[in-house]
Amino acid sequence: MTTTQDFDNDFENKWCPGCGNFGILDSMKKSFSNLGLAPKDVLLISGIGQAAKTPHFLKCNMFHTLHGRALAVATGAKIANHDLTIVVNSGDGDCYGEGGNHFMNAIRRNIDITLLVHNNQVYGLTQGQASPTSKMGFVTKVQKHGVIAEPFNPLTIALNLGAGFVARGFSNNREHTRQLIEDGIKHKGFSLIDIVQPCPTYNKISTHGWYKQRVEDLYENNYVPDDLENALAMAQEWDEKIPIGVYYQKEGPTFTDRIKKLTEGTLIDKKYDAAKLDGYLSVS
Amino acid sequence: MVIIGGEAGQGIQTVGDLLATVCWKMGLYITVVNDFESRIRGGHSFVQLRISDQPNSAPSDKVHILAALNSKTVELHKGDLSEGGLVLVDGEESTAAGVTAIPFSKIAREVGGKIMTNTVVAGAIMGLLGTPFDIFEELLVKKFGKKSPEILDNNITAAKRGFESIGENSFKNGFTWEKKIPLGLLLTGNKAVALGAVAGDCRFSAFYPMSPGTGIMNALVALTDDFPLVVEQVEDEIAAVNMILGAAYSGVRSMTATSGGGFSLMVEGLGLAGITETPILIVNAQRPGPATGLPTRTGQPDLQFTIHASQDEFPRFVFAPGTPAEAFDLTVKSLHLADKYQVPVVLLTDQYLTDSLFTLDRPLKVPDSIDRFIITDEDLDNPESYERYAFTESGVSPRVLPCNGNALCVASGNEHTPDGHLNEDADNRKRMMDKRNAKLPAMQKEMSAPSGYFEDSDILLVGWGSTQGAIREAVDLLRERGQEVGCLNFTDMWPFPVEHSQRLLGRTKRFIMVEQNSSSQLGLLIREQTGLSFDGTVLKYDGRPFFPIEIVEETLAIIG
Repeated sequence: MTTTQDFDNDFENKWCPGCGNFGILDSMKKSFSNLGLAPKDVLLISGIGQAAKTPHFLKCNMFHTLHGRALAVATGAKIANHDLTIVVNSGDGDCYGEGGNHFMNAIRRNIDITLLVHNNQVYGLTQGQASPTSKMGFVTKVQKHGVIAEPFNPLTIALNLGAGFVARGFSNNREHTRQLIEDGIKHKGFSLIDIVQPCPTYNKISTHGWYKQRVEDLYENNYVPDDLENALAMAQEWDEKIPIGVYYQKEGPTFTDRIKKLTEGTLIDKKYDAAKLDGYLSVS
Repeated sequence: MVIIGGEAGQGIQTVGDLLATVCWKMGLYITVVNDFESRIRGGHSFVQLRISDQPNSAPSDKVHILAALNSKTVELHKGDLSEGGLVLVDGEESTAAGVTAIPFSKIAREVGGKIMTNTVVAGAIMGLLGTPFDIFEELLVKKFGKKSPEILDNNITAAKRGFESIGENSFKNGFTWEKKIPLGLLLTGNKAVALGAVAGDCRFSAFYPMSPGTGIMNALVALTDDFPLVVEQVEDEIAAVNMILGAAYSGVRSMTATSGGGFSLMVEGLGLAGITETPILIVNAQRPGPATGLPTRTGQPDLQFTIHASQDEFPRFVFAPGTPAEAFDLTVKSLHLADKYQVPVVLLTDQYLTDSLFTLDRPLKVPDSIDRFIITDEDLDNPESYERYAFTESGVSPRVLPCNGNALCVASGNEHTPDGHLNEDADNRKRMMDKRNAKLPAMQKEMSAPSGYFEDSDILLVGWGSTQGAIREAVDLLRERGQEVGCLNFTDMWPFPVEHSQRLLGRTKRFIMVEQNSSSQLGLLIREQTGLSFDGTVLKYDGRPFFPIEIVEETLAIIG
């Protein structure tokens, strides 16, 4: 058995006080230890942004990559060794902006990884610009008259693309988020967990209190996530209430299941056999 | 040389492949250069077949047979016909002197349909060349035997009718056709890279289609059933490079192939491989640019771009094979060196090398074993304190794989401390840059000298990559004309082989750069790295491969 302390490291954390990332980090450690995973069993892959720094703050294998590209890197890592437990930390800008194409294609492939999107509707690392999920009218230093585009809705897009695990969490409901991450890791296939979170520095609208008034726990309501229409309807909600939990779940063959040669073991464990080349290289 | 021309979609490439295989099986040397536009049907396409009993790897300007499936072929290529050369056109009667009409499409329709036209044409050309028909028939059985007996019979009849349609003729450039065992395979550069990839234990490849890089991926896909190899077409080139980075980090050798535009999109990923010391191989099959440029044409415009691509600096290897045999060897070497030094490698080919079919003059050799340069907990006294980027004298840190023991694999594209965690400390940054750069002296020792041909001559032609064959033939032609000329052909481009270059170029009186770009990129690199300046340039950047005679004429103009 492992404990959350096994995942602690002494790397100095520079997130702002009150950042939603602290809650997500805590939930990750708890879910890993609950699942009996040790640091050596987990591979965290991240892009760029404050969310993407998360893997540095816990002990595990990690690859901190480029802006928007974490899902592509994670897909390659999973194909090479599909026994790995891979969790991706990304943000709303990283995943839905810079990495939008990879987001859609990771869903299409149903690659068996768990994606945590730390969604605070604002850019933290680059100091307060609007993000793809910012509401219309959201005022920033750059969008000084307010955002003039509709927000990107990751849940409706994921549901429409046939994602098999679509969930929303709230960073400050740590126990709830822990459960979501555990369920996401246990789900065989691609899991999207969009975790809404406050940004105390740059988002003065969606504050901790604002979310607190709106979130409704689907686990408590015994919601059964098997109805796509219901899930799509819930995914549209935001201003009045924000359901948190698994909106929709359906298992099917994953990407590596569909590659025939990977059904008999991982790519990395296969043997190099130069003799097979003889037929190709023989002149006669 | 034989030229077969027509519209795209008329099966011209098939004729070329049939002829090439017959010649190769009989021990003749053949180079097949496809010239086509970026379209699937229509337009003008032609294939140039250089057949000889001596090794050759460049197209020639002397055409002995011109087989024209459209009138444009005659217009465009009639001027290239050598003395005694023949023009074959599709029709009942000859329309001009020196033109032989053969009813290719009529014969085809009689024996099974218009689709047989290319087999009739192949038969006619073999008739002229004096090929024993049974060799051709054998090949058709191999090619069509698995299809219906009707298709096979029709093709054999079509070939025979074509073969006989030539009748009595005055053609003097046939061969004696004594069967000899070929010294090497008949291979495109594409296939050579793909075979080199599996020989070098490449297990994963992600790509986005872009000519002429796509051919490499097609060749690789063809090998996936027989080898532990997964090839995936992905959403874009950015995904391609980042997926192979993920797979390489996870522990399998990985590569992608593209052309200049796709490579441009991969550049940030190249930098990620640089700073995270992740071994990947990118093949850039060059074509003229910028932007879309000339999609189906050839060039060498990306040497300077490739050695400098990405912001900031990090060690990398760049290789540019001159022949398919070198493409095979350098692909194997690239995958090996990427692992050994934990660096990205770029293999520069071009449309001419990748798409053309060459007869190799030697067999290809598979490495005896694959060394992955990967350690595990067992190699470590204390796996818990393992650091992925530990400072070492060689700059190479022992590498573990993720989730492969208690030693954790912590990697970051941010500057990092030896434990892999991001860090902005000035002193650490300098030490980490120095650590990565410390690999360079050993990397440079891995670089081979350019291969020479009469390299002690007073005048040297200097080129790199796929121009090797044309330059060597130009040397032969110049020497026949009494010029003391030799050549150097570079394949190992970066880290630049400074000492080899100083030694080989320092002793010659003059050297002339022969390149397929407009600024002599290798010439500029030689000047930068050795202080030696070239004395002239022969540059071709119209998208077409060099004819040896072009190099001869421009060289003569320079040396006077």
